[in-house]
Amino acid sequence: MPVEIPKDSWPGSVNTVTLGATGDQGGSRTSTVTIGGEQSLPFMHFENPTPHRPVIAMEVAAARPADWSAVLLEAWGSTLDDPAVWARACEDAGADLIVLQFGLKGSDDGPVSAEFAVEVVKEVMDSTGLPLVVLGPGQAEIDNSILVPIADATKGERIVLGLCEEGNYRTIVAAAMANDHLVLGKTPMDVNLAKQLNILMTDMGLPLDRIVMDPTTGALGYGIEYGYSVMERLRLAALQGDAMTQLPMLVTPGVETWKTKESKVGAGIPDEWGEWAERGVNWETLTAVALIEAGADVVVLRHPQSLVRVRAAIAELTASETA
Amino acid sequence: MYIIGENIHILSDKVKAALADRDAGFFQQSAVAQVEAGAQALDLNLGPRKKDGEEVFPWMVKTVEAVVDVPLSLDSTNLAGIEAGLKAVTKAQPIINSVSAEEERLEAVPLIAKKYNAKLVALTMAKSGIPVSADERVNIAIESLIPRLVEIDYPISDLIIDPLVLTVSGCQEYAPELIEAIRTLQVAWDPPPAISVGISNVSNGVPTEGRSLINRVYCAMLMGAGLQMMIADPFDQKQNEVIRVIEERDASTPVGKLYLAISDRVAAMEEPTVADVDTTDPEQMEIWKTVQILFNKVIYAESYLQQ
Repeated sequence: MPVEIPKDSWPGSVNTVTLGATGDQGGSRTSTVTIGGEQSLPFMHFENPTPHRPVIAMEVAAARPADWSAVLLEAWGSTLDDPAVWARACEDAGADLIVLQFGLKGSDDGPVSAEFAVEVVKEVMDSTGLPLVVLGPGQAEIDNSILVPIADATKGERIVLGLCEEGNYRTIVAAAMANDHLVLGKTPMDVNLAKQLNILMTDMGLPLDRIVMDPTTGALGYGIEYGYSVMERLRLAALQGDAMTQLPMLVTPGVETWKTKESKVGAGIPDEWGEWAERGVNWETLTAVALIEAGADVVVLRHPQSLVRVRAAIAELTASETA
Repeated sequence: MYIIGENIHILSDKVKAALADRDAGFFQQSAVAQVEAGAQALDLNLGPRKKDGEEVFPWMVKTVEAVVDVPLSLDSTNLAGIEAGLKAVTKAQPIINSVSAEEERLEAVPLIAKKYNAKLVALTMAKSGIPVSADERVNIAIESLIPRLVEIDYPISDLIIDPLVLTVSGCQEYAPELIEAIRTLQVAWDPPPAISVGISNVSNGVPTEGRSLINRVYCAMLMGAGLQMMIADPFDQKQNEVIRVIEERDASTPVGKLYLAISDRVAAMEEPTVADVDTTDPEQMEIWKTVQILFNKVIYAESYLQQ
């Protein structure tokens, strides 16, 4: 019996955003990444083909992370001591993007400084040709103090600068506008706040094709359903034509899952929870895939094995389009 | 539109201070001004007043009744305080604000309403929380609230159902549900109970300068659904003008015509369309953007008018 598949037709679409710039384009990247452009809900390929597959970014910490799960420390080994080496390893492992994450500390356990930050960014850019997302620790003043000099020192590279939040969006947007970069707007898990920040950022004159948003999410078992709902609502609004929600979404399942007890703790856990490393990778992979189903355009991961598994899931979800 | 003036409310700092001082002049001035502005009843929201409710409510009733004749709505969760206030009423039939479907309240409050021949505001809210869909709200009214009042032989004509206005800034998706709830409640019982809402709650959490527009657009929508009573700010002249335009069907100004169209569309079980709007008129565009927010067509953001 022939089955007619019902199809939705949407008036709106997600903005197409290109991260990174090659030599010809005024930067130094060997490749660029283009995200967004969706005209349908995720993987409804029978309505519209997926214009750009979701991409996988790997998180690289600017200084050796003090609070990461032993599972991650073991997976990356000594590469964690040098962000340039680590970024290169991520590229070799198949990452599309590098998220360079600054914390509150710089070299030798001192506070993070502009000089340190610029130096690390340059070293990472020398060792990998992938486009970059550069994130401050998420405290407005410190973010400003390192992101502005980074923006100045890397003019034309189309780096994504973050976090751009309600408290510091003016500074970050201005730095991005002056130096041909992009910004990552981040809001607490709330559709109204996400949209409000987008209005404020575009109001300053930053074109919509240079903004990515992080609507914040939770890990599997730790609020993922709230994050999922927020992303789903934003994406539905985008497809319905609301320009201030039509931004591609970047989310951080790596950060969220590797702070859960299930991933972080290996001792004193019931046997039926299974093998620790496997559990952590599963947690990260399942969270990331669920968020991709909710409309994520970029997922930021931590474990190299999760990268492989999420990549495989994306390939399966888009298999009928490439067959 | 029967307006119950909302301005004597304990959340206002001025009211809080005047009450602490037992400043009768402040409340008398507010009462007279609200009635002159068109309020046909006055809500007296004094909070729970756990310690001194039985002293404060009678004091307030006497203070306000000394200068106005309109019905007083005693708004508190403190039933003993409300009862003390009711005993002090000498003028119009008072109103108790409010009861909900929460078991203990629904047991006790209607008996007091009956004993003192007071009207009763009943919220469509159960112990499990605030229901969001229109059906849930209506079900609470016809399965819990009205049966309890019928049971004690309370006249349903004195019952005022409040199907609850939720905030557009936090629960936008439920704003349109209230339209349906108001429509259905009017045919839910014979004789039908009155229906009233606290209109200003729709803009709770919205920056002050944006509240009035949201209130009056929602008011036009709910009037289309049949709303004839609300707790509101009687000094909001733009809201009063919208009410007048819709009641008198005055389409003589372009903006008035739009408000009338919004109300008529809802009355016809439709939604307003952009064809109702002169998109070259900035004032009409602001109204249209607000309509889209309240119908949950466009996601609310503080700067939604700038979009």
